Amino acid sequence: MAKRQLRFRSITFTVNLFLVLALAVGVGLVMVAFTYSLLASRNQLTRSSLLQQGNIIYTSIANFMLPGDAPLAVKFVGQISISSPESSISLYRRDGVPAFSDNATIERVNTNLREAKFSPRAQAASQAARPSTPRFKEASSNPPSEVFFQESSGGNSYFRAYRPLINLPKCAVCHGSDHTVRGVIDIRSDVTSVIRTQNLTIAGGAVGFLVVVGLLAFLIGSFLRALVLSPIQSIGSLCTQVTSGSFEGRVDVRGKNEIGDLARTVNQMVGGLRERFELTKYVSRGTIGALTEGQKPQRVQRTLLFTDVRGFTAYTERHEPERVVRALNRLLERQSEIIHEWGGDIDKFVGDEVVAVFAGEDASTRACRAARDIVRLCAMRPADFDGLSVGIGAASGPIIQGMIGSERRADFTVIGDSVNIASRLCSIAKAGQVIVGDSAKAAAGAEFAFKGPFGAKLKGKAAPQKVWLLLTGAGPG
Amino acid sequence: MKGMPRYSPLTAVAVALALLAGCSRAPEEIYAPADYPTWERTTSITLNYPIPGHENRLRIPRMNAKGFSAIPARVGSGLKWDFPEDTVIVKEVYATANPAPGDKPVQLTIMAKDPNDKRAQAGWLWITKDLPDGKETVFTGNFCVTCHANANEKHPYGDGNSNEDFRDYVYFVPGEAAK
Ligand code: HEC
Repeated sequence: MAKRQLRFRSITFTVNLFLVLALAVGVGLVMVAFTYSLLASRNQLTRSSLLQQGNIIYTSIANFMLPGDAPLAVKFVGQISISSPESSISLYRRDGVPAFSDNATIERVNTNLREAKFSPRAQAASQAARPSTPRFKEASSNPPSEVFFQESSGGNSYFRAYRPLINLPKCAVCHGSDHTVRGVIDIRSDVTSVIRTQNLTIAGGAVGFLVVVGLLAFLIGSFLRALVLSPIQSIGSLCTQVTSGSFEGRVDVRGKNEIGDLARTVNQMVGGLRERFELTKYVSRGTIGALTEGQKPQRVQRTLLFTDVRGFTAYTERHEPERVVRALNRLLERQSEIIHEWGGDIDKFVGDEVVAVFAGEDASTRACRAARDIVRLCAMRPADFDGLSVGIGAASGPIIQGMIGSERRADFTVIGDSVNIASRLCSIAKAGQVIVGDSAKAAAGAEFAFKGPFGAKLKGKAAPQKVWLLLTGAGPG
Repeated sequence: MKGMPRYSPLTAVAVALALLAGCSRAPEEIYAPADYPTWERTTSITLNYPIPGHENRLRIPRMNAKGFSAIPARVGSGLKWDFPEDTVIVKEVYATANPAPGDKPVQLTIMAKDPNDKRAQAGWLWITKDLPDGKETVFTGNFCVTCHANANEKHPYGDGNSNEDFRDYVYFVPGEAAK
């Protein structure tokens, strides 16, 4: 199964996205529902109003017609059309021909009544341009139904209602029984400006909606950013700094809330880390390693390097303490640099003495290189160290490594015969000399030139030890 | 998930909706029962003259016993009819004015007194039943009732209701044809 790559997406982005979506959906739904119900109720209102008008006109016409006052009905329809310009009212026969437009009906009625009750008009009513009548069939077929719809023509919008006129039995007396629908009242109301206002309102509402959503998203977003995100970001960048080794930074969050607490904790934590980091400078790498890798004592093969300043006691007596400390520190500093350079680990500083441990395949070679570099440095730049110089001893062999000390204060250090030998060799080495034990010399191999062997009588050893003088090309080697 | 059919939530919703729809719809009521041809006719007049809506096709109206139990109240000089609930009037409409014996009607128009039904107009349900498929349609518009309002005024049929009695929207009330 392919593992899905998770893309980094900032919380700011996610939160803003979520806000905008939630607001858009929430507020949007309400807006849409509101608009929809508004339009629906407006349509409903218009519909019932137009059909109501239709009923009134229907009743009026029926009441004119029954006593035979058809001309009054003609006049009536003509007048209501004129009196309201924004709504047009027309009366059609069932076949769609405008009522009263010719004498056809008058002739039919006279025939049905078998008397010339109504006299034809000389001139048919003037034929104004009438709107087309879509969906007319629905109102004029059998059974007919009231029709209400919206239409637009010539850039204008209309609501329109058809009200069928039924050929009632009482009408049938004059009009005949061969049809069910007598005609259709057509009421057309011009709602262009209403629709325009409504569209403007909806557009305004939409714009307002967008603005409100945007503004709300912005406000809530900035609020969240100020309250949560930027503190988290600064905590994050502090953590990045710490990871890359800088413990100087602090988070500047003052809020008295969860995030403020978090920031204060992080600040304390970084402070603590910094303290510990500073402490590691004073602790051997072996000790630090032992902290992480376990502190079980073990027997290991190591090369020990001891250096010691010659004539230091006399020097300390001759000079001011500041000068002594300055010169010694510089010397110790440079020595530890060289030892680290060659992969050695400073086990401890004891006064003017340095104890270093080299581990690994070529431990003796690297120890010899470090020793050589140290004596060369002292020889080349005596002024740097106020003329101080060191004697060095190196020996290799099995030693025991472990936590040595009390519960309260312990070092991860080395003990064993080679440690003692290296220390003794150091103590017999003159300024600028490097004295190497036999096994260390053998391991360091061809890279170096040695003088010897010499038999050295070492404290604690009955037989004289075989030792070598490393030729460093500097000093009295 | 082998062997077990998986139903999407959509299916579940669809099924639920279908069940709801099925449950909420009351069983279709049959307004013209099979035995309506045994009901008494409301008029002895042969209705094959043209009237609006039916032209000159033969029509035979019958009413159930409930309807015949109605007795009009006297109001002033006139009568006021109020057919009891569950009155059903079925009017057969044939294809022609003079159908051959054994011909079946092509449509039934039905009035069923049920003032509590939401679809009722003037207390009546107005129904058409197309034959032979037998589908009954309840009219919710005012088409039928508009024309039948004329039964409460003067009209050209039967006795013409010249007295303008309130006849509860029925053109041929019991006994009317005798005149
Ligand atoms: C244009 C007028 C008109 C319309 C519309 C109309 N009817 Fe009638 N109806 C009549 C007349 C007239 C009668 C009298 C009997 C006859 O001549 O058929 C009648 C009779 C009836 C009868 C028998 C009871 C009576 O009144 O005597 C029923 C039932 C009936 N109509 C049902 C309906 C239904 C249902 C509708 C709507 C689908 C409807 N009618 C629409 C005119 C109309």
